[in-house]
Amino acid sequence: MKLPTSFYKFWAFSVRSTMVNRRNVFAVFEMLFWPLIGIFSVGLLTRFLNLKADTVSFILIGAVTMNTVQIAQLDLSYALLYSVWSKSLKHEFIAPINLSHILVGSGLVGLLRGFLVFVIMGALSIFFFDMDLGKPGPDGLLWFLLGMFLNAAIIGALVLALVLRFGQRAEVAAWAFSYLMLLLCGLYYPISVLPKSFQVLAHFIPLTYFLDYFRHFYGFPLAWPHPLLYGFGQSVIYLFLSYGLVSLTLRSAYKRGTLLRLSD
Amino acid sequence: MTAAIAADGISKAFHTGLWGPAKQVLTDIDLQVASGAIFGVLGPNGAGKTTLISILATLLRPDTGRATVLGFDVVREAARLKERINLAASGAHFLWCLTVEDNLKFYGRLYGLGGRRLRDRVASLLELFGLGEFRQTTFERLSTGLKQRLALAKALINDPELLFLDEPTSGLDQDMAQHIREEILRLNRETGVTMLLTTHNLREAEMLCTEVAFLKQGRLVTGGRIPDLQKRLGLGDHLSLHFQDSPAPLDYARLPGVLTHRVADSRVELVLDRADERLPAILEAIFLTDKKLARIKVKPVDLEEIYREVTH
Repeated sequence: MKLPTSFYKFWAFSVRSTMVNRRNVFAVFEMLFWPLIGIFSVGLLTRFLNLKADTVSFILIGAVTMNTVQIAQLDLSYALLYSVWSKSLKHEFIAPINLSHILVGSGLVGLLRGFLVFVIMGALSIFFFDMDLGKPGPDGLLWFLLGMFLNAAIIGALVLALVLRFGQRAEVAAWAFSYLMLLLCGLYYPISVLPKSFQVLAHFIPLTYFLDYFRHFYGFPLAWPHPLLYGFGQSVIYLFLSYGLVSLTLRSAYKRGTLLRLSD
Repeated sequence: MTAAIAADGISKAFHTGLWGPAKQVLTDIDLQVASGAIFGVLGPNGAGKTTLISILATLLRPDTGRATVLGFDVVREAARLKERINLAASGAHFLWCLTVEDNLKFYGRLYGLGGRRLRDRVASLLELFGLGEFRQTTFERLSTGLKQRLALAKALINDPELLFLDEPTSGLDQDMAQHIREEILRLNRETGVTMLLTTHNLREAEMLCTEVAFLKQGRLVTGGRIPDLQKRLGLGDHLSLHFQDSPAPLDYARLPGVLTHRVADSRVELVLDRADERLPAILEAIFLTDKKLARIKVKPVDLEEIYREVTH
């Protein structure tokens, strides 16, 4: 069967991300170590504080979400950083590829890695802290996972734009972006505990709504009547905007000679 | 012969910082490269060679002017052009943790190759560049020469009609550089692929290029076939006359076709417009003086002299 040439272009970035992750011991470390630290440090804290089961679930959902989003966005964020670090950016961009090949190809690996982290952390939560991550059922899990991956894609695309504009210096943004977003979306607390001005900002973060949706299965009341509608609506808008931003930055990179400078 | 590359009035300036002043890197470049040629763009460091090649290779947008490569506009039809071109640059850089084979497969996929076609293409390139035994070696463990061979192999992964070679032998030892040059010549001979090569190694340009252009401070100062440039610039052949004792007492400046002359001990150095035409008359004049010649040496003008002439 002859596959369309575009498939191989997506596949190129998926295979590259997989290989880099497989051959880089730190990438494996990044994927397993931090989630383990995350779930145990937060889980043990809830045990020490002697919290009720529903509050434990509330907090552990936050820990699982943070690590899943963090790992899922990495492959996308690193898609161009690999090329910048290896100074091969011009070889990639002289080839007949477009942004979607990079975004989808690398993003798929991020999605798989994120899913793996979610499963591992979910299993640990069940086994060590009696928190049933499967309680929302297949539909609830699917929507929540999709929401997290969309958020990861938005972060990844924004980091790509920064890499194309600022090069290696943007590496730190790969982490900073997601931490900032996670701080505001009510990861370990309801957003009502945030200062008023930050609460307003939280309304513009789709993950806020997905967390709200997922937590309602654990007995917490919905803060909005249709959290999935708000979450997916915002996510789609932000995805389009971030894709547009990356496209604009790439166009500017062609004009400013950034692709060459980052290959030197 | 059809032009593989046609550039008309290409200019480019880079800004330093957001509001910094613009530095003009290329000014009003016109260029024609014939299909199947190996065309050399020569010039000192900072002359704008890499900027020019990058514009033609669709990696950089010109500020003004227009260029077509293989008939495609480098800005408006870049996507279609990219299918047909490729680039090998000095100081080969690829992803450090991928093997030689993985790197070639990665770039092959970017050109839409897959399955058996990709495997066959990679296998033939590994063989062509003697990389078979290093197929499982990661890029970071390759020697400089092997890295450069991989860069050339990668540049051929899509079987390009036009190849950009940006200082392809820079940083290589003499043997490896020579090997790469022979590969370039062989490729051009066997596949007819057009090549645009930048170098500041004049010997390399002399060995490889059918035509050259000289860049100086972003301007194309002259260009053409090397013999034509000689004629146009009035650069002649070198004639060395070694006498047995003292030089023949002649007014060398007045001899036919002499452009410059220098007398040193028993040796006279002449630069002639055309040695093949002028030599009989000069030898006859010497014969009439009864002075005996020990040795005569004729050397055609080389690219280095043209380079000196046009860049200083």
